[in-house]
Amino acid sequence: MFLARIDGTMVSTAKHASLQGCRFLIGQRLESDGQTSGEPLVILDWLGATDGCTVLVTTDGDLARQKLGNTTPARLVVVGIVDQANQPKPVQGGAG
Amino acid sequence: MRLGIVRGRVVLNLATASLLGVRLVIVEPVSAKQLASGKGADTAVTPVVAVDQLGAAEGQMVAFVEGREAANPWWPEIAPVDAYCSLIVESVDYRPPKNLKHLMV
Repeated sequence: MFLARIDGTMVSTAKHASLQGCRFLIGQRLESDGQTSGEPLVILDWLGATDGCTVLVTTDGDLARQKLGNTTPARLVVVGIVDQANQPKPVQGGAG
Repeated sequence: MRLGIVRGRVVLNLATASLLGVRLVIVEPVSAKQLASGKGADTAVTPVVAVDQLGAAEGQMVAFVEGREAANPWWPEIAPVDAYCSLIVESVDYRPPKNLKHLMV
């Protein structure tokens, strides 16, 4: 699981049959210093996260499979909307 | 799922049984910079070959799933697939904050 910032939404007409009626958000993974990393991600959402939200995203497809059936080609699902995340403090002299 | 632009196709001559007749496309993942500006190719991201059963044309944007879930459409059969185009993108509403550093408490 990782934290992501929601940057937008996406609309699609042609999609795998199991994904009909789903809400797709565009998010970016957050690193511990608050910077984003990697490419924008398409994330499924049933909780109603909006632009600017920090969300907790699971990379396990089982939640999508449970909701959309065994044949669904989806993996990233919003499992929580974050109220507060405490930034880890750098460890003095600790290994990487 | 990452977003990507279809850049070409792959046709197999000999293939493992479960991949026979399956349409393969070359997808170039879209970076945040590219998505915000709406143009240009980012050479920093490595293209991937993905299965496409939606008929995405060259230049179209798709979202592709990677990993074990890419083989889910073949369930309960198994398939040696780890990238699959789940949907063709119609429109994107992308509004990243100007200050890229996100606030954490």
